Amino acid sequence: MATRISDNIRLGTFVLGGLFVLVLLLYMIGRNEHLFGTTYVLKARFHNAQGLVKGNNVRFSGIQVGTVRKITIEESTQIEVTMSIDKKMRRVIRKDAVVSIGTDGLVGDKVVDITPVSLICSLARDGDTLTTKPVVSLAALLDTLDHSGRDISVIASELKMTVQRVNRSAIWSLLDDSTVPADIKVTLSNIRQASGRASVMAGGLDRLVQDMRAGRGAAGILLADTVLAGDIRQAGKRIRLAGETADSLIGTLKNVAGDVQAGVAKNNGVVHALLYDTAIIEKLNTSLDHIQKGTEGFSQSMEALKHSFLLRGYFRKQEKQKKKNK
Amino acid sequence: MNIDISTGKDRAAAPPVLRIAHLYKSFGAHHVLVDFNLELQKGESVVVLGRSGSGKSVLIKCIIGLLKPDQGTIMVLGVRVQDAKGESLDQLRAKVGFLFQSNALYDSMTVRENLEFPLRRHWMRLSREQVNERVLEALNDVGLAHTIEMMPEELSGGMRKRIALARTLILKPELILYDEPTTGLDPITGKEIIRLMTDMQQKYNTTSLIISHDMNCVKIAGKRIVILIDGKCYADGSYETFCRSSDARVKQFFE
Amino acid sequence: MQQETSIKLFLAEAGDLARFSARFFREAFRPPYEVAAFIRQCFVIGYRSLGLVSLTTFIMGLVLTMQLRPSMVAYGVASQIPAIVSIAVVREIGPVITALIFAGKIGSSIGAELGSMKVTEQIDAMEVSGTNPFRYLAVTRILAATLMLPVLVLLGDAIALYGAYLGVNIRGITSFNLFWSQVFDNLSFSDVLPAFIKSYFFGFAVGTVGCYKGYSSRKGTEGVGRSANSAVVVASVVIFIIDLLTVQIAEAIGIN
Repeated sequence: MATRISDNIRLGTFVLGGLFVLVLLLYMIGRNEHLFGTTYVLKARFHNAQGLVKGNNVRFSGIQVGTVRKITIEESTQIEVTMSIDKKMRRVIRKDAVVSIGTDGLVGDKVVDITPVSLICSLARDGDTLTTKPVVSLAALLDTLDHSGRDISVIASELKMTVQRVNRSAIWSLLDDSTVPADIKVTLSNIRQASGRASVMAGGLDRLVQDMRAGRGAAGILLADTVLAGDIRQAGKRIRLAGETADSLIGTLKNVAGDVQAGVAKNNGVVHALLYDTAIIEKLNTSLDHIQKGTEGFSQSMEALKHSFLLRGYFRKQEKQKKKNK
Repeated sequence: MNIDISTGKDRAAAPPVLRIAHLYKSFGAHHVLVDFNLELQKGESVVVLGRSGSGKSVLIKCIIGLLKPDQGTIMVLGVRVQDAKGESLDQLRAKVGFLFQSNALYDSMTVRENLEFPLRRHWMRLSREQVNERVLEALNDVGLAHTIEMMPEELSGGMRKRIALARTLILKPELILYDEPTTGLDPITGKEIIRLMTDMQQKYNTTSLIISHDMNCVKIAGKRIVILIDGKCYADGSYETFCRSSDARVKQFFE
Repeated sequence: MQQETSIKLFLAEAGDLARFSARFFREAFRPPYEVAAFIRQCFVIGYRSLGLVSLTTFIMGLVLTMQLRPSMVAYGVASQIPAIVSIAVVREIGPVITALIFAGKIGSSIGAELGSMKVTEQIDAMEVSGTNPFRYLAVTRILAATLMLPVLVLLGDAIALYGAYLGVNIRGITSFNLFWSQVFDNLSFSDVLPAFIKSYFFGFAVGTVGCYKGYSSRKGTEGVGRSANSAVVVASVVIFIIDLLTVQIAEAIGIN
């Protein structure tokens, strides 16, 4: 009889142990999903939910503070995202905090980021709607990149045309024609703009690549070593190269323009100018070739990007839209 | 030698403990019992003799209700076994002991628990002391009181048979069915068991139905012997009459 | 011809098994209840399996972690090992490994026990002793297996995760707190609940198949051995079939 009782004690311990594990499991998960803990509600309105779904994480300055509880469509253009936030954050999140939708890693789950702005504004209360920030997405970034590439090639061809004109025109008429220096000036400013944009772009690409490298999630890892990342990096390098070449070109052109202007003003130095002429044109030609090569390389990279499997869908969509627009 | 196929010549005024009439049982195309008849009076000890596979075991399993006969009537202590269900069947079974051929001691229980099992199951109203008393009494009857805390696997074949007998006796049944009680035992132990059986029958004044093909058993226990051949009650008589029988099929057993 | 009869045998067996389960449901929920025998079986079936289940799940957790490590490191996500292992353990490995071990230990022992009870007429003896042997033997065992396996699975999960924690720390250093939060950050109810529910079905399958095989055991020691053996085989196959069904049902109702 005694053994029966001790057996029953053991059985009881065993069953209670199992129940304890169950309760612990459910409680821990529930706590992480903010089911049992006290939470309050914040809302945000977006034009595009970016594939956000119920249950996605909400982060405040990168700290996990809650989950997306509900996503509703309002007036067909606005999407209201309701978030459950840990009550502890009541003393931290202010009314002017900016909400944006981001990605965990490069192609990971969507997350809602709440970014603090000031320390003065009053604290956000239960049910408040926070302001939102439009999203900088990978797609948008690539869009700009594409545009910039096209710009550069347009500028380059413009420049070439000018140089050809310089080349073709009789030296005398060149000297007389006061419009040429002005033309050159316009081109110069264009080039400067383009090179400025190119360097910004190159920086952006660098960051993108870095993000990819640092990016979490399997896709980020995958990207870090794929052709895509290499392509993007290469494109950045080429753009930067093109920008630098353009910069040196600008310097040379400036000098030329100055000389020409001086010659025109003094109304002499024809021979000088003549002598100059061939050298300039040589220089201009090679520089322009460089730029063109640079832009060609860039377009190639863009082409490669278009074929890269991750972004294929994006570009295909764009093409479809273009066709539609036509 | 005239063979008395009818059941029992001198019908007592009291109703028979067991009455089997026109019993049929078959498994598929194999007809085991064909129009079997038998009647047992109180205090009688009857041996059903038959070869292996002649349907002896089927017969007593029908009597206790483990098997359902196809046709016929089995009346045990005035109750028709086929009609008894649930509680009434349990009540009937409490009055009928059954000694299994393989003893059927519960391997996972001690001797005491084995003996307590039918008691607890049939009469839930016994107190702890009464149960202990009955267990000891039954064990003393078979002379194995010292094995009370042992497991069945620790016992020899003969001891196990005795424990099984004690478990059958503990309910003080009015009718005991023995399924080949000496099978698997050496002749000496077999004889001891049969003596014990007859002793107990006298002590408690029970009625016994013994299934056997062991002639030792038949000789000692059977005041009345029924020979089962082809699913029928082929012959019914005493040991002595059968010994002198000239019937070839009877002689098979008594030579 | 041979094939035809074996298919017929298979179908007949499936039908018998279904009938046996139906009988369980008919008898299980009607008094008298065999409470004492049920608790006894819970002890024998549940508690006595804990050691074996602990050992196997511990080793599974440890080995799984160590096996995953090289490829996780190659992908640069060694920090995700606890998350992946915990999901694998809770969703699939815990329940299935525990159930298979359980089928091996309990399915065979029920098959052999009931088989030998059947062969040595103990089941008949019980019936003669005013006991419904189906209720006393089969119902208690099936119920105990059904209710005890989930408990074993839960404890096995916990032990496997502890094994995984040790496995993570063999080649790296992860504090228990970090491991803990990584595990629970990545688990959700949809990982735990289907796995928990399916372990009831696993337990029911093991108990029912074991009892069925024992009950339909043929005479002789070979019959007992065969019923013990086929109890394990059939129960293991049924476990995998249930596993397949659960994942599809979970998918269909959207909790996968």
